[in-house]
Amino acid sequence: AYLRSSDAEPAKFKPPPKPVIIDKQKQTTERRFLSPEFIPPRGRTNPLKFSIERKDMIQRRKVFDIPEFYVGHILAVTTAEPNANDKTSRFVGICIQRGGKGLGATFVLRNVIEDQGVEICYELYNPRIQEIQVLKLEKRLDDNLMYLRDALPEYSTFDVNMKPQSYLNYEEVPVNKLQVRMKPKPWSKRWERPKYNVKGIKFELPEEKMKEAQKWSQPWLEFDMMREYDTSKIEEKIWKEVNEALKK
Amino acid sequence: MMPIWTKSGKKHAVTLLKVQDCHVLKYVSKEDSDGKSPKLIVGGKNGSPFSISESEMKIFREAGVPRKQKITSFKVTDDALIKPGTPLYAAHFRPGQVVDVTAKTIGKGFQGVMKRWGFKGQPATHGQTKTHRRPGAISTNKASKVYRGKKMPGRMGNIYRTSFGLKVWRINTKHDIIYVNGSVPGHKNCLVKVKDTKLPGYKDCNKNPPFPTYFADGGEELPEDLYDEEVFQFTEPSITYA
Repeated sequence: AYLRSSDAEPAKFKPPPKPVIIDKQKQTTERRFLSPEFIPPRGRTNPLKFSIERKDMIQRRKVFDIPEFYVGHILAVTTAEPNANDKTSRFVGICIQRGGKGLGATFVLRNVIEDQGVEICYELYNPRIQEIQVLKLEKRLDDNLMYLRDALPEYSTFDVNMKPQSYLNYEEVPVNKLQVRMKPKPWSKRWERPKYNVKGIKFELPEEKMKEAQKWSQPWLEFDMMREYDTSKIEEKIWKEVNEALKK
Repeated sequence: MMPIWTKSGKKHAVTLLKVQDCHVLKYVSKEDSDGKSPKLIVGGKNGSPFSISESEMKIFREAGVPRKQKITSFKVTDDALIKPGTPLYAAHFRPGQVVDVTAKTIGKGFQGVMKRWGFKGQPATHGQTKTHRRPGAISTNKASKVYRGKKMPGRMGNIYRTSFGLKVWRINTKHDIIYVNGSVPGHKNCLVKVKDTKLPGYKDCNKNPPFPTYFADGGEELPEDLYDEEVFQFTEPSITYA
């Protein structure tokens, strides 16, 4: 519509409205990740012990950067080794398990080197660790990838000189829905049984074996109220505490 | 229990002991204690005064101190006497000292001979009739009696035991916590007695302790954390073997 001004002067030039840049990456909320070893286990220990341990853990994290990683990531760890030539030893592998709470938290890296499967269990807060580098970000369908020991070796081989994959601060960590093929039975554990709750294996067993494995299912476990441990409130408190302490 | 790392990269397991409201309650002179040295009676961890008798409360009333859950006596030399009513802190011990820890072990109830005394038992198969965890023979023919103190099933645990020669790695003066090497008898949050070592090999370790004890109002300002020289503190960068 034309602007009809009562005056004889032409309408003033109005510049078009400035485009509002919506930066989607910044707009999305920061991903909240609390390392699982901060969450105290259920028990009768004095909470003072956990708070003192947390102080030590935060102190170590201020000096040495422990990146955010999950089971399924491919990491490269350099540790100080007194008997090596250049006093360091580097190991690349996929993280199959994260265990332990507090300062004794560990993670196990697996790789196949020259047809020999090697697993090394590192302590997160060991002062001999000089660098932890995340080479590839990907979560897997399970929390525990111990079944890779009975899977075909190609699923555990990773190039030792792999370059770190560049990634932006995505909203979510990509989940790899890979179904792994296994070596012929016998396995180290009966992975088809429901107690292990493994989703990342492509079972090529006959139907009767799968049905027989379901005999060991315990469907009442998920309704057991004594086993409930709701960590949401504890996690929030600890996350706030850790974040504030690390920002200082 | 927690891990602790030394500067050479070795890991040691450490037990945390908290010094909770410890006060000196009474001084017992050499003649009264019927021994060769006077004693100091010390109490720890406050409790309710209503569940014990008046005669037991007398000691606490005279010292001017709330009722304590645990009372122990320490044999002391004449120059180390402390006035009853003074509080004792974790800074009484210093990193590098060696210590004995006494506590009541975890009670296991009535236990059989295999768990209580470590007997081997009998095989599971090959014809054994109803005998797999029994003691077997209890004496010889010639003795024609069973000796006193024969190891047999009975109540196990809930008795006082001591771990000797435990090194103190670190002391937290703010929360009164002593970090002691290795494990300690007793369950979580149980009451424990900490003493200087009686082992002859560590006589030189307990040099220059705060004598007779660490007084909070003595004007001596201690940092919040006291570490042994070999302990890796988390403020330092990662270890390298250059």
